[in-house]
Formats: sequence, structure tokens, C-alpha cells
Amino acid sequence: MPTSAARRSRSRRVLLSELAATALALLVPSRVRGETSAEFVVVVHPENPSESATREFLTDAFLKRTMRWGDGATITPVDLRADSRARKAFSERVLRRSVAAVRSYWQQRIFSGRGVPPPELDSDEAVLRYVSSRPGAVGYVSGGAKLDQARVLRVT
Amino acid sequence: MGRNPGRASTRHPGRTIRRGTAGWLAILSFAGGAHAEELTDLDSLVEIHGFVSQGAIKSSDNNYLGDSERGSLEFTEVGLNFTKSLGPDLRVGFQVFARDIGPLGGYQPQLDWYYLDYRFADWLGVRAGRTKLPFGLYNENSDVDAARVPVLLPQSLYPLQNREVLLAQTGAELYGLLPLGGLGELEYRLYAGTIFLDAWNSSPQLRSFDVPYLVGGRLLWLPIDGLSIGGSIQKLRFEFDYTASQAEIDHYAGRGELPPDFNGRILARIPAWLWIGSLEYQVNDWQFALEYGRTYLEGKTNLLTPTVYSKSEGYYAMASYRVRPWFSPGFYYSLQRSDFETRTGISEFQHDVAISTRFDITPHWLFKLEAHAMYGTAALEPALNDVPDAKGLNRLEPHWAVFLAKTTAYF
Repeated sequence: MPTSAARRSRSRRVLLSELAATALALLVPSRVRGETSAEFVVVVHPENPSESATREFLTDAFLKRTMRWGDGATITPVDLRADSRARKAFSERVLRRSVAAVRSYWQQRIFSGRGVPPPELDSDEAVLRYVSSRPGAVGYVSGGAKLDQARVLRVT
Repeated sequence: MGRNPGRASTRHPGRTIRRGTAGWLAILSFAGGAHAEELTDLDSLVEIHGFVSQGAIKSSDNNYLGDSERGSLEFTEVGLNFTKSLGPDLRVGFQVFARDIGPLGGYQPQLDWYYLDYRFADWLGVRAGRTKLPFGLYNENSDVDAARVPVLLPQSLYPLQNREVLLAQTGAELYGLLPLGGLGELEYRLYAGTIFLDAWNSSPQLRSFDVPYLVGGRLLWLPIDGLSIGGSIQKLRFEFDYTASQAEIDHYAGRGELPPDFNGRILARIPAWLWIGSLEYQVNDWQFALEYGRTYLEGKTNLLTPTVYSKSEGYYAMASYRVRPWFSPGFYYSLQRSDFETRTGISEFQHDVAISTRFDITPHWLFKLEAHAMYGTAALEPALNDVPDAKGLNRLEPHWAVFLAKTTAYF
């Protein structure tokens, strides 16, 4: 049987570790706000002049409700395949919809003749190649992907 | 790879499509875009999508949408569409659609929609051709089984019987999205044109059906992510030439309403206007919708009957939730009141309480089960229920149930 002093000591340790975890969570930039997210980073063509974009802008871009960057260039969004972890994280944190809800959105548009979804590519490498070959492209890849072909777009 | 259109191959999950020299047929993409690795090919793709649906319907009493009391498999829909971008702002596309739902459709393929779409800016685009009508939240998507939980959309506002008439128009449409700063966005759709209907395909008794004009629009205010508030309005005129059944001739003769020179054909001219107020909220995996609509018709015919003024209304509340990616239940309550200033009894209204379940077996195949508890007969077709007209619907069973099963494969 632990003594009451031992229980108090363990409670303090638990409290301290929770506080430390909370502090760490506050210090690390929000996943949706930073390119430091472990789950995805938003990438654009290296010559894209935009340094950052709002979450709302990216939502409109990936749902094809807006077609132009600030400089007038055509936005060309690209998705990862529906079962990828980065797609799930991007969808839920930036689009604020589940992948299934986004698919439902596109089913409505496809079969009513109001548009087609962005292409879905199989890998981070394919997305990076797609983005690096189109000046207006925007995509996202896993946080660990090598970004030598594209530039990170900060999400604000 | 992919630079020589005569030789390249485009890989898709589970299959390889050999590209031949036959042009657009060889540059396919499926299921929500291209799972292609030859990235240089993606910009030249023709998107091809399609669906096949088969349903079954059984009612405890009364025939609904077909011979449902006996049980019917006449619940089939097939669609195939092609879309091609011709530059960043120009898109063309068309869809071929066929259905067989009770007496409707008869598997006759038709060009469901086709368009040329040019987007000048986010706030202004123009579409010309045959385009789906943005009336209410879901009129455009009423065929899209994969985009919703219920098998039947609330029939008070989206009746399957009216699909041929009010689903699409041939003409032009302006659309756009206007930013409102901190107040969100405003989506507008304005259209004008006409409706061409293959009369026989809609009903064997219809000899011709014309719509000299149709104008309308929809405004949706999107104040926050997922919330849509707005309204739709539509004004049009129907003119039709209809071969009366013997039962109908007897009925009108009995009332002394047949003109002396009656030749078996009823000619009608019906100006109409319709509106719907809409509210939808999608948050996470929840979806809520609430709509109320009214229809006003003024019917003049060659019969010795006075001009008929008809007002009808409908409304519903609907909710669905994606519990798991493969399972979504849904619920709605819908009320239709037909000709509510002239009809009486159970033929004036129809309450509909529906419970739906959707199972996504794979990303391209779903199955649905649905049950409806009905009270009233306003949405029933007299001809399907062996009664001469709407008043005859008062003789039918007021409390009845409908069960549906439906499976859809789509890509």
C-alpha cells in the first residue's frame, strides 16, 4: 500500500508532466498554422510569390470556389489519395471536413455538371513533381517529405 | 513516359489503361480525379465519371412511384458523364442518363446535361447549354445517390415525378461567389431558358410539353464555414397537349365539362411560380437541412372547367451523421400539402417520417436501406392507384409505409 506522502508525490509528478505537455503544446505552432506540422505541409511552386495563405483561402482553392492567386495566376490544386494520412489531416484541419465529406461534395458537383475534383496522386513525390512543374499549383505532402522541388506555404 | 500520346500508359489503381491513338477515349481518369503517375498527362485528361443504381421499393398499401404494393424493382438509374477543361477558365461536359422508375423513364437514354462553362473571375462565370436548375439546396443533385444519405430526398420539395420537368433547363446561367468581408460570402446563380421534354418519356399520355420561358435564381449566403442560408425563385409557363384516358373522359363527361368538339386531347396553359427558403449546416460529419417552399399554378384548359388556381407547399427537416466512414444514418420529416385551397381530406397532405441508413462498402459502392411512415396521399399518382383524379386519392389507405433498398456503384 502506498503511503499518503507517496501518493501526493506521484500526483505532483502527474500534474507536472501534464503541465509540461500543455506548455509544449502551446509552444509548438498549431498544426494547421505551421509548415512544421508532422502530418502535412502545404507546398507551392518555388516561383509562387505568396508566402502564406489563410485557411479559408485554401479551402476555397481546394474546393475550386476560387480560381486565382492574388497575382491573378490560376490556382491548380492537387490532392493526395483519399486513404493517405496527410490527406486526412489536411482535410480535417484546413478544409474542416472529413475526406468522406469532401468526396460527397465532389460527387454532387461531378454528377450535376458543376466541376471535377483536383487530381489525386499516389505519393508525396508525385505531388511535389506536380507542384514543381506548374506555377499555379498548390498541394500538401507529409511533414517528413523532402521539399527540394517545392516551397512551403504558411497557413495563417 | 506519357509524352507520346500514341504509346504512353496511364496507371490507375488496379488497372492499366493502354493509350491508343483513338484520342479522348484513351485518356481516361476515374473516381474523383486522376490517380495517374504520368503527371504531364494530367492537364489533357477527359474526366469520365458514371454511376449505376438499382433499387427496390415495397409499400404496405397504395402504389408509390410504381407498383410498390406488390413490390417493384423498377428503380434503376444509370449515368455517364464526360468533362474536359479547355484552358484554365473554360470547361465543357455532358452526361447521358437513363432511368426506369415505375412508369417513368423506360430506360430511354437522354442528354441529361451539357454545357460550356467560362469563368471570368470568382465572382462571374457563365454557363450555356442544358444545365441543372439550382432550385433549393438539392434539386441539382437529386440524381446523385452517392452524395446523400437518404434514398429519396424529401418528396415534398424534390418529387421524383417532376424530375423531367424541373431538373434542368436549356439556356444560360450566370454564377459567382461574392466576398462579403467579415460577413462571409454570397453565392448567386441566375438563369433563363426553356425546358425541352421528351413527352413520351415522361408520360405516355403526354403528346407535347412546352415551356415558352423559364427564369429564376438562387442566392445563398455563406456566413461561416458549412452554413448556407438562402432562397430560390423560379417563374415559368407550361403548355401541354395530353391524351385523356377513358376514365378521365368518363369523369369529365359525368361532370358536363367536355366541350362539344372534344377530340380526346386536353390542351393546357399553366403559368407557375415557385420559391424555396433554405438553411443548411454541415459541421464535421453532421449535416442538417431545413427548407420550406411554395408553388403557385394557374391552370387553363380547353375543358369547360373554370381556371384552376392551385397553391401547394412543402417543407422538411433533415439530419444525417457519418458515424463511421462506412456507416451513416439519417432522418427526416417532410410534409407536403397539395392544392391546399381546393383539396380536402387525406389527398390534401402527406406526412413522411423517414429513417435511412447508408453503408459505404467500398469507396465506389454503397448500399442503402430506408423506411417511411406515411400519413396522407397527396404525393400519390391517381393513375398508379386506379382512381380517376386527385379526389379519388381520398379513398386510399391514409396510413401506409414504404420500404426501400438501393445500391449504387459510381466512379
